[in-house]
Amino acid sequence: MRHSFTRAALMLCSAGWLAATGPVFADEAKPEAKPLKLTTTADHTKFKQLQKTFNSGPEVTKACLECHTEAAGQIHRTKHWKWEYLNPDTKQTLGKKTVVNNFCISVASNEAACNSCHIGYGWKDASFDFKSEENVDCLACHDTTGNYKKPSGLAGNVVTKDMEFPPGSGKVLKAIDLSKIAQKVGKSSRDTCGACHFFGGGGDGVKHGDLDSSMSAPEKELDVHMDATGLDFSCGTCHKTSSHDVAGSRYTPTAKDSKGAHVRGKADNGNPATCVACHSNAPHKKEARLNQHATKIACQTCHIPSFARGGIPTKMTWDWSTAGQLDANGKQITKKDAKGRIIYESRKGDFTLGENVKPEYVWFNGNVTYTLITDKVEKSDQRTPINKIGGSPTDGKSMIWPMKVFRGSQPYDPVNKTLVTPHTAGNDDTGYWKNLNWDKAIAVGMNTSGHPFSGKIDFIKTEMSWPINHMVAPKEKALGCVECHSKDSRLAGIKGVYIPVRDNNKLLDTAGWAIVLLTLLGVLGHGAMRIVTARRH
Amino acid sequence: MKLTTTLAVGTALSLFASTAFAYDADWKRGRVYYRSVCTSCHVTQPVGTINPSSKTKAEWAAYVKADKHGKGKETVKQYVSKTYRESIKSGNKAAEKFIAVPETELLADIQLFLQRGAKDGEAPASCN
Repeated sequence: MRHSFTRAALMLCSAGWLAATGPVFADEAKPEAKPLKLTTTADHTKFKQLQKTFNSGPEVTKACLECHTEAAGQIHRTKHWKWEYLNPDTKQTLGKKTVVNNFCISVASNEAACNSCHIGYGWKDASFDFKSEENVDCLACHDTTGNYKKPSGLAGNVVTKDMEFPPGSGKVLKAIDLSKIAQKVGKSSRDTCGACHFFGGGGDGVKHGDLDSSMSAPEKELDVHMDATGLDFSCGTCHKTSSHDVAGSRYTPTAKDSKGAHVRGKADNGNPATCVACHSNAPHKKEARLNQHATKIACQTCHIPSFARGGIPTKMTWDWSTAGQLDANGKQITKKDAKGRIIYESRKGDFTLGENVKPEYVWFNGNVTYTLITDKVEKSDQRTPINKIGGSPTDGKSMIWPMKVFRGSQPYDPVNKTLVTPHTAGNDDTGYWKNLNWDKAIAVGMNTSGHPFSGKIDFIKTEMSWPINHMVAPKEKALGCVECHSKDSRLAGIKGVYIPVRDNNKLLDTAGWAIVLLTLLGVLGHGAMRIVTARRH
Repeated sequence: MKLTTTLAVGTALSLFASTAFAYDADWKRGRVYYRSVCTSCHVTQPVGTINPSSKTKAEWAAYVKADKHGKGKETVKQYVSKTYRESIKSGNKAAEKFIAVPETELLADIQLFLQRGAKDGEAPASCN
């Protein structure tokens, strides 16, 4: 009896073994080797520091810093942390903390919402401690599970217990398991960078035009470098990071890279995120003539024929002046286009959207000057540039670049003649998105940003330029000659350079061809006379 | 005593089996395979594309467990098999790229992607 029970127990255990390994043995002829992680040298599930329940983001950071002792200090030096940057050329203080745009306008007084994209925890107002190491958010960039979330409105904090938010709304924010996420940290990826950069401006693809969620796992047609089944670049492949500082900022872009391909060991390699950094200044091996083009034309101009190509539209215009309309019941309204995409919201105004958008082209030398909240603006027929793109055909530093030019109408102070920083997001009486009251929203926002406000409000037309860098098409899909060398050239607005066909003169062409014809006739006539003369002799 | 030892050894073996062969599924690889192989084929079939977010997590789990494709005429697993990947690799970059991945791992990758991308998952997903 005892013997048979032992046998039964063994059979039971064997069954357990088979159940666990069954699929492996059933599907494969022989057992698989133990899976080995090749993308990291450390399996974070094995670290005792991470085998616990975490009740907040800073608790995780504290655990990370036990081993990665210098990481927070490195982060503290970066734009991603400070949201502040002194442009060494223009001496302007830039960064998200300071600049004004024509999308959601500004961060000041909206920190709790905007700062879900800050790589820190708890930045809700000016009291945020930028020196705190525990406030650094490691998981925002190093999560590999895709489950790490920083909901808008929580000042960059995470949810570790289910909570109703906004309070009284009936909406529940689900808790995330920080322990599981922390145990699976890894390199940054298109998904981690994209969690913010794909959704800038308040939604998928809204801001950049060449960055949206279709780039998280794109096909070759969409981006030849990030092609998930091909080269599979992450953002960091080009935006090569050093001591946690990510290269390739749009505050000081490299418009013309004359330094050639990067070489290991060379002291001054420059910006690693340019095309030239890999492809050199003479990238066309078969058509040398194209390399001549590359001395004046940015690679992106020909190799990114259009943006927003991944099926997700980008916002092209935003008119804040029409915000505030209500329905017959006094409720906020939303309007959608035929494709079901939002084109009007009471809290935001009118939008237009674009897909497969042809860029606009300008001479660009890398200098960008921002219109800041301290700068005077004048309402006129001309749009006020949020950022002035520097460049000319003659400065020797400029190339012809593709841009997304985003146009809008936004509130400004007509007495002080400045742009304004409205308080938009927030579940309070002064948040514009809740109460649709510009007076309150702008007064609070300007008070928070520390700038004078006259109390008068008007709307001013603005435009903002975004250099296009991503969504690089396969070379077969690069622009053909006629896209520029034709009367309806893409470069119609580019001055200071002669572009054959675009710039031809009919009279000059006729005269030239006449000369060619006369020359030909002369040659033929001369030849004929020589033949006739030779026969006579 | 003997029985206790036997049971202990058996239990340890079972636990070892489940941990030694535990595979840490990669939802990103599952995403690429689902979109590049499953979706690319479904686009041209009468049934059309099937967004992961069109089903709940439980529905996807049941679907994979039932292992029935094409109303039960085929299995789901066969479309993840190395044989199938081999047969389409000349025209499908994902199949070619993941040709060496064990079937169980690839299926686990896809399952994890479907769980995340389900209607009630952490990140409801479309086909592109």
